[in-house]
Amino acid sequence: MRSKIHHLALALTFVVLLGVGTALCLGRALDPVTYSKVEKRPLATLPSKVTKEELLDGSAMRAFDRFTVDQFPYREFFRSVKAKFVLYVLGMKHNNGYAVEDGSIAQIETDFSRENVDYSLSRLSDLYDRYLEDTDASVYLALIPDKNYFFAKEYGYPSPDYKSLKSQLRATLPEAAYIELFDTLTIEDYYKTDWHWDQSRLCNVLTRLGQSMQFADRLPKEYTPHTLAPFCGGYHDQSALYPPPETLTYLTNDTIDALTLTDYATGTTSGVYLPELFASDTPYDFFMAGLQGLQRIDNPLATTDKELIVFRDSFGSSLLPLVAQAYRTVYVVDIRTVHPATLGSVLDFSGKDVLLIYSTTVLNTKTFK
Amino acid sequence: MLFSSISFLYYFLPLVLFVYFLVPRRAKNFVLLLASLVFYFYGEPVYTLLLLASTLSAYLHGLLIDRTRGTRACRAFLWSSVMTSVALLGFFKYSDFFIQNVNTLLSTRIPLLRLALPIGISFYTFQTLSYTIDVYRGDAKVQKSFLRLATYVALFPQLIAGPIVRYTTVEEELSDRHHTTENFALGARRFVFGLAKKVLIADTLGLLVGDFIASDDRSVAFYWVYALAVSLQLYFDFSGYSDMAISLGRIFGFHFLENFNYPFISKSISEFWRRWHMSLGHWFRDYVYIPMGGNRVSRGRWICNVLTVWMLTGFWHGADWTFVLWGLYFALFLVLERLFLQKWLDRCPRVVSHLYVSLVILVSFVLFHANGLSGAASDIACMLGGGGLPLWSGDTAHYLSGYAPVLLLALIGCTPWVKSTATRLMSTKAGGRAQTFLEPLCTTLLVLLVTAYFVDGSFSAFLYFRF
Repeated sequence: MRSKIHHLALALTFVVLLGVGTALCLGRALDPVTYSKVEKRPLATLPSKVTKEELLDGSAMRAFDRFTVDQFPYREFFRSVKAKFVLYVLGMKHNNGYAVEDGSIAQIETDFSRENVDYSLSRLSDLYDRYLEDTDASVYLALIPDKNYFFAKEYGYPSPDYKSLKSQLRATLPEAAYIELFDTLTIEDYYKTDWHWDQSRLCNVLTRLGQSMQFADRLPKEYTPHTLAPFCGGYHDQSALYPPPETLTYLTNDTIDALTLTDYATGTTSGVYLPELFASDTPYDFFMAGLQGLQRIDNPLATTDKELIVFRDSFGSSLLPLVAQAYRTVYVVDIRTVHPATLGSVLDFSGKDVLLIYSTTVLNTKTFK
Repeated sequence: MLFSSISFLYYFLPLVLFVYFLVPRRAKNFVLLLASLVFYFYGEPVYTLLLLASTLSAYLHGLLIDRTRGTRACRAFLWSSVMTSVALLGFFKYSDFFIQNVNTLLSTRIPLLRLALPIGISFYTFQTLSYTIDVYRGDAKVQKSFLRLATYVALFPQLIAGPIVRYTTVEEELSDRHHTTENFALGARRFVFGLAKKVLIADTLGLLVGDFIASDDRSVAFYWVYALAVSLQLYFDFSGYSDMAISLGRIFGFHFLENFNYPFISKSISEFWRRWHMSLGHWFRDYVYIPMGGNRVSRGRWICNVLTVWMLTGFWHGADWTFVLWGLYFALFLVLERLFLQKWLDRCPRVVSHLYVSLVILVSFVLFHANGLSGAASDIACMLGGGGLPLWSGDTAHYLSGYAPVLLLALIGCTPWVKSTATRLMSTKAGGRAQTFLEPLCTTLLVLLVTAYFVDGSFSAFLYFRF
C-alpha cells in the first residue's frame, strides 16, 4: 500500500512539475517580454512566420530554442538559483565568469583576445597618425587596470598578461608620454557591484595625472562628497547574485558645480552630473551621461586658458569632472560612438593637451570605430 | 532535440505524454512514431528521410529474409541488408576519413565530401542491423507492421544516443505493453536523476575540461586532474543520457536493458567493459566476435578476433585514428588480462587492481578526448612528466580548489555507495515513510535546479551524439 502511495506521489509530482512549467511557459509565450534590462538586449520572441528553408536548415528550431530560454517565466529567479547553487553549494570559483569575494563581484578574464587588442591598438595608432603626429600637442597615454587585475591578485584568480598589454600599448604609441596608473589603485577603489571605479577614491589617480600633465597646482583642494542610493552596479544583476545595493559617491565644489557639459549630438547643455540618469538602467551614466560620442566641458572658473582633448571610455566619465577643473575647456571623445574621421572638422589639436585614457576591458573588445 | 533543454522538458515531453496517455491503446505506437519523427526532425530535418529509408530497408529485408528462409536467397538478402546499413553508415560517417587517408597515402587530392554526420546514425544503424540478423538467425520473428518496426527504430528516448536497444528486447512490448503508475513513477524519478547527472555534473566537469584546455599554466598534476575530469564527464554524460533513455522507455511501457553498471569500481579492464556501454559491448560480442569464432579458436586467431572487434569498437566511436588506437589500447589490456594479468590481479589486494584499472582508464579517456594522434601522444607524455612541465602550478591549485566539490561529488556518484545507502535507509520503517515525501521533494528540487541551469544558458550537446 505504501509503495502505491509512494509511486502515486512521485508520478503526480512529475506531472504537476511539467504541467505547471508548461502552463507558465505557454502563458509567457502569449505575452512575451521583449527586452532584458539586465542583459541590455532584446529577448527572442516567436517569429510571425516560418519559411520552408528555415525549417529545413534547422534555424527555425534554433530560434524556438532561444525563445524558450529567453521567455522562460521567472527567468531572473532561476538565474539567481543557479548562480547561488554554483557558488555557494558547489563552492565553485565563478558562475558564468562572475566571481564573488568579500562581497565584491568581478568578471574573471583569463586571457586577452589577441585579435581584439590588435584591433583596438591599430585604431589608436590610426588616430595618432591622423591627428597627432604632426602637431605640437602634448600627448599623454594612460591605461586603467580593470577590476579583475586587483581581484585576481588579491584572491588568487588566474588573470591575463597585463604587463604585455601595457608594453603593447606603449609600443603602439611611443611618442605619447605614458602615465602609470596601476600603482595608484586598489580593489577597494572599485564598486563591489560594478566594474567602474569610485570617483571619491580617485585622489591618487588625479594626483598622478596632475603631476604628469602639469596641472596638479591648478586643482582645488576641497571637495564635498555626496551620495546617491541605492546604487546597483552592472554586476549586481548580471551575476544574478543580487547583493545588497551600494551607495554611489560623487564629489562637488564650486568649480565642479560651475562646469557645463555640452553634447555635440543633441546640442544640449547640462551639468557634469545628471541626477535623472541615476534612476536609469545604467546608474553610472549619472557621470557625464555615460557613452556619448563628443562632448565639451566648459569651466567658467578656470584660472588658465589651457584646453584638453580626452579620448576615453566610461571610466573617464567619473574622472573628467575632476580633471576639468584644471582646464578652461575639455573636449571629450568616445571613439566607440563617433568615428575619428569626423573629428577633424570639429577639433583643433594644435597646442592642446591630449590624453588617451582607456581601461584594459575596452582595449580587449572590438568596439572602436 | 536535446533532452537537456527547455523545449524538450516543458514543451515536447508534456505534449507527448498527454497525447500518448489520452489516445486508445491501438494508436499509441502511431503517437510514439510521430513524436519520434518530430523529435528527430527538430534536430536533423533533412536526415529524417535517411532514418526512414534505413528503417524501410530493414523492414523490406526482414520480410524478404523471412519469405526466402531456407533458400540461398535468404543469405543474399541478409548480406544485402548488412551491406546497405554498413554502406549508409560508412558513407555518412567515414567517407572523409577514408578520402583523407587515401590522399595522404597516394598523394592524391580527392576533395572531401564534408557531409554533416546524421545524428544517431551509429545507434539506429546498429539497431536495424540487429533486427535483420536476428530475423535471419530465427532469434526474432519478422515484423510485418512497418509502423511497429519504425516505432522501434525511431523510438525517441534512445534514438540519438542509445543505448543500442535490440529488437528482441522490445519485440513483445511493441505490440503489447503495460502502463502502470509504478512504471511511470520510477521512470520519472530516474529521468530526473539522469538529467541531473548530465546537467549538474557532466556539464560542470566539461567546464573544468574547457578551463584546462584554455590554460597556459599547466602542470603534470593539472594533466591528471584533466584526465579525471574527462573520464568522469564522459561517464556522467553518457550514463545520464542512458538513464533518461531507459526511464522514458519505462514511462512508455518499454523495458530497455541497462547500459552502465558502475564501471569505475571494476577490478580489471574485462570487468570495466562488462559495466561500460554494455549495449555496445553485447552488440559486438553477438554480431562480430562470436561469429568470428569468439574464444573457441586457436590463441593466435583469438588474439586476431579481439584486435578486430576492438578496432571496430574504437572506430564506431569516431572516424579518426585516435579512436582506432583507443579501441586497440583496450584490446591490448584485454589480451594481457586473459593471458596472465587476470590471475595476478585476482591474487593482489583490491586497491592494486583498482589502481591499475584507474590508470588504464584515465589514460584511455585522454586518448579518446585528444585532438589527433600527435595531440594524444603529447597529452599522455605530459601526464607522465615528459612535457617539461612543472609538477604543480597556480592554475592547478586554482581550478582544483574550484572544482574539488564537483569532482568529489562525481567520484562518490560513480560508485554504488549512494544507491546502496539510500536503499538501506529506505528499507527501514521510518525510511520507507520518509521516502514517500523525500523522493518527490528531491525530484522537485532537481527539476527546479536543472531548469535554472537551462535558463541560465547552461547548454551543451550530448557528447555521444556524433558517434
